[in-house]
Amino acid sequence: MIAKGFTEPTARIKALKAEVVNAVPEVEPYRAVLITESYKETEGMPAVMRRAKANEKIFNNLPVVIRDNELIVGALSVKPRSTNLCPEFSFDWVEKEFKTMATRMCDPFVITEETADILHEVFKYWKGKTTSELATSYMSQDCLDCQAGGVFTVGNYYFGGIGHVCVDYGKVLKIGFKGVIAEVVEAMNKLDANDPEYLQKRAFYEAVIISYNAAINFAKRYSKKAAEMAATCTDPVRKAELLQISKNCDRVPENGATNFYEACQSFWFVQALVQIEANGHSISPGRFDQYMWPYLEADKSISKEFAQELLDCLFVLLNHVNKTRDDVSDQAFAGYAVFQNFGVGGQTEDGLDATNPVSYMCMDAAAHVRLPAPSFSVRIHNQTPDEFLLRACELARLGTGVPAMYNDEAIIPALCNRGLTLADARNYCIIGCVEPQCPHKTDGWHDAAFFNVAKVFDIAIHGGKNRDGKQLGPVTKPMPEWKSMDDLYEAYETQIEYFVSKLVEADNAVDIAHKERAPLPFMSALVDDCIGRGKTVMEGGAIYNFTGPQAFGNVDTGDAIYCIKKHVFEDKDLTMQQIYDAMEHNFGAELGAGCYDGPFVRLSTDSAEPAAAAMESVSVSSEDSMESIINAVVQKILAEKGSNLSMSVDTKSEACTSCSDAQRAEYDRIRHILDATPCFGNDIDEVDMCARKATQVYSHEVEKYKNPRGGQYQAGCYPVSANVLFGKDVQALPDGRYSNAPLADGVSPRQGHDVKGPTAAGNSVAKLDQLNISNGTLYNQKFLPSAVAGDQGLLNFAAVVRNYFDKKGMHVQFNVIDRETLLDAQAHPENYKDLVVRVAGYSAHWTVLAKEVQDDIIARTEQHF
Amino acid sequence: MSNMEPSCDTSKKGLVFNIQRFSVNDGPGVRTIAFLNGCPLRCKWCCNPESQELKPVVMFKAQNCVGCGNCEVVCPTGASNLNVPGKIDHTKCIACGKCIDVCYHRALEMSGKWMTVEELMGELYKDRVIYRKSGGGITVSGGEAMVQHEFLLELLKACKSFGWTTAIETTGMASEEVIKEIVPWLDVVMMDIKHIDPEVHKEYTGVSNEQILKNALLISSLAKKMIIRVPVIPGFNASPNVIAAIAKFTTYLHNVNELHLLPYHDLGSNKYGMLGKEYELADVQKPENEFMEELKAIVEKEGLTCKIGG
Repeated sequence: MIAKGFTEPTARIKALKAEVVNAVPEVEPYRAVLITESYKETEGMPAVMRRAKANEKIFNNLPVVIRDNELIVGALSVKPRSTNLCPEFSFDWVEKEFKTMATRMCDPFVITEETADILHEVFKYWKGKTTSELATSYMSQDCLDCQAGGVFTVGNYYFGGIGHVCVDYGKVLKIGFKGVIAEVVEAMNKLDANDPEYLQKRAFYEAVIISYNAAINFAKRYSKKAAEMAATCTDPVRKAELLQISKNCDRVPENGATNFYEACQSFWFVQALVQIEANGHSISPGRFDQYMWPYLEADKSISKEFAQELLDCLFVLLNHVNKTRDDVSDQAFAGYAVFQNFGVGGQTEDGLDATNPVSYMCMDAAAHVRLPAPSFSVRIHNQTPDEFLLRACELARLGTGVPAMYNDEAIIPALCNRGLTLADARNYCIIGCVEPQCPHKTDGWHDAAFFNVAKVFDIAIHGGKNRDGKQLGPVTKPMPEWKSMDDLYEAYETQIEYFVSKLVEADNAVDIAHKERAPLPFMSALVDDCIGRGKTVMEGGAIYNFTGPQAFGNVDTGDAIYCIKKHVFEDKDLTMQQIYDAMEHNFGAELGAGCYDGPFVRLSTDSAEPAAAAMESVSVSSEDSMESIINAVVQKILAEKGSNLSMSVDTKSEACTSCSDAQRAEYDRIRHILDATPCFGNDIDEVDMCARKATQVYSHEVEKYKNPRGGQYQAGCYPVSANVLFGKDVQALPDGRYSNAPLADGVSPRQGHDVKGPTAAGNSVAKLDQLNISNGTLYNQKFLPSAVAGDQGLLNFAAVVRNYFDKKGMHVQFNVIDRETLLDAQAHPENYKDLVVRVAGYSAHWTVLAKEVQDDIIARTEQHF
Repeated sequence: MSNMEPSCDTSKKGLVFNIQRFSVNDGPGVRTIAFLNGCPLRCKWCCNPESQELKPVVMFKAQNCVGCGNCEVVCPTGASNLNVPGKIDHTKCIACGKCIDVCYHRALEMSGKWMTVEELMGELYKDRVIYRKSGGGITVSGGEAMVQHEFLLELLKACKSFGWTTAIETTGMASEEVIKEIVPWLDVVMMDIKHIDPEVHKEYTGVSNEQILKNALLISSLAKKMIIRVPVIPGFNASPNVIAAIAKFTTYLHNVNELHLLPYHDLGSNKYGMLGKEYELADVQKPENEFMEELKAIVEKEGLTCKIGG
């Protein structure tokens, strides 16, 4: 048998897991109160010092919590799976959601009245002091208009911390926080007082020392607490465990780890503290098997079972990390996702296979725990042992959506093309969803924006005008005037050029705001070469600096372009004007055709009623109005400081109900022709080349730009789950897609349009010149369990991966689950509390996903073997 | 694609009604199946009735039809008629495809396309990497692929010029000459033996099994690997006695030690309606799993390896 099966987790792990599954996430006030107190005390100090003093206050005062059964300790919240807030980045959306956050569609959090009162007081201090407000003040009106118009959003870092980093865990395991402090002291001693940056560097070093000193104390508080609990513990087994925990926390992370258990504990403190310092998500452990294996290998006293249990504990712990975002962003990142990407496998810096026993143990841990976190990744190269790939397929076959698989043979050259050394590129890890970077040397700014390529094409169709009639982009020839494919591309390229420049403006504004208001000393000291350069990552301290805005809607655009090419210029069975007219009438259908049920309300700029008031006017208790609330909030967030907006029922629906039956039939006929056109995902070169070009136009434009940290922009191509949400902003397209319907999911073919099987779909996706989309691509495939059954099923599964990777695909992930199961889970969520599915770059509990996101997952083509 | 064997005539044309990529149940590894038109048999349970004739056929999907009548207007022979069950009078239809061009709701579609070996190879070539990764290759099916033996021969030669493994799903109904010509180019022959009794065979398939059983012996002496397959059809051969007889017969073949039992399914039944035909086995139930296991045990008693499903 090739399949080895997976064992049952221990009773302890089951109990720890149950605590996560049954948790009711809550917003806690502690951190927000502490940082506010600290900021009040440090006004007038340099920003980096204020952050250090805030770290000190938080690390020294955040409640210490040791949960039953835990072997590894360090809590980010008192209640399980709960969260603290970071008002220093933004806060007003929380205030607005005090009453609704517990009942909202995606990722609800309980906020008690007491907490709401405390936070209300705390927030008063932050008015005008957040990174978000500073970023807005840097943006031009044009730039704000583009965001209000739904072309792109930079919401991620606009409203929260940056995160998206893999810090140097290995260094802490080796030399401890004391070692980090020693490095800083040495660097400080070498400082030249004549260096023009001397004072800033000194402030940074002092900030690091203050932060790490407090971080050591954070662990000591756990040591003390564990000892106290042991003293009163009557169960001798637990008492011994608590004493061991106390001993571990006394030793690490202050010092280097001397055994595997200490290494696990030390790892966890780093993982926790980085996420207490700020709320940026995608704090990714990276190549865990590489830095942990030496400690297991050298540990002669630990049993295999105990080592496995420790890993299992870590896999559970990662699920206690939780963050809340505004309602809209939470739809884009549905499922309490925090994207701690945890990877195994791949190759060493000198190009040899790097798999080791910890790589396999992590797969067992993922099978034991089966919770949404971590985002578990495996790296595959052409020398990866079959045993490793087959084991990964066996894990994927369980249906939890992990591991995601990454292709060294594509990613390494892609990173070299961005200036990484070969050794650094070979050492890449995955951050967040799918983004590759060299660990602890990179400030990747990977989730810099969602950029809606289909929206840009929509605007190009209309000569630079948005759907409200406003001239949002430069004036170009509208679709009816396109006389050739050159005209089409000229319009599309001109619009892309413009909107990418505005995207860069928005991202750089946010970048500068973080540098000025939130330089983070704790995280920075674990990223090379911040200590050498004497500056935080926000100021350009990292060796590699990138900004990675991700596109989606490029596949839709490619299909739209092919439809025009084929019908207007090749077959000549339709004219440009015919297609245009049909689209303008939404192919004769009501607005909302091909979309999800529910009334659609959108905002226009015509009247003066402010969006916030409009939001309040919508009853939140009514299920039917959820859609309109979402749209209101979308527009609100995109329009931050933009034009006055008000709600109005879309005029489009009147337009199409007003057309005659004959017109409607004609528009419908045209839609059927367009919809029947060969499309991306079926391995047809001439079709796939259109999607390739549509994508390249974006990626080549993006890579022209530089960020304030001295690094380059690079394109990514993955929507997280934004393809559903942002599809609502795009009108009918020439591929027959109705207005407001969901867009394709990342580089994946349009839902239900890949009908030639998994290899054909994979071949199409691989044609997108993925090496230029170096901020990451995301490709979902869904298989039925019967399709991968048995040993032959595993071998075929592995062949699918090898095939796609031979063709230079970068990433692929699988949902192995049948449609009936998903439909049943939708109908009876109570029976599927622990069902985990792959959403996009991450997995989530099925039950917490919005219905729309669930529908989208169901709609993704099932590949029958 | 420039590496075709010189002796292979890639301009030869064949009628192909389906190319199914990523097939994992019809031969080793991941395979592409090329379905060729034409069949001397008329099995009542046939799941590809559109393949039986060696000509393209227009199929009608009632659920997509809005009754617009476009098809009637363009039909040059009067075959397209909204009043005919199945919309197409197949005795008049010349499969010109004009109705399909104007059927925007995709209620009509053409099954069967004349392709050169080169065109077909172009499609097969797209999955060459996964053939290599999985030990897969090409399977030809039908219809009865050997009906178009000239095309088939050139196709198999072309596949072999790339080193792909080749397999066939066959009824075994062909002339000795054709079998001798084709079988050496195949790595695996999966041949149906449906019944031992010539009369019953004829009643349900339209032909006697004498030639087929003779051919089974011939093929087994020529083939590198041969697997016998038995579609288990209730009311026809789904009885321990018949299965035992087929298993016994199989043991007389040269070097054949594998027999697969394929439980009846009605996945092709909707196609009969699309062709304006009646599906005679509409009342037949799928055999129970326990019963299939019972039959499997009978086959195994003859010392054969037995699998349920392909």
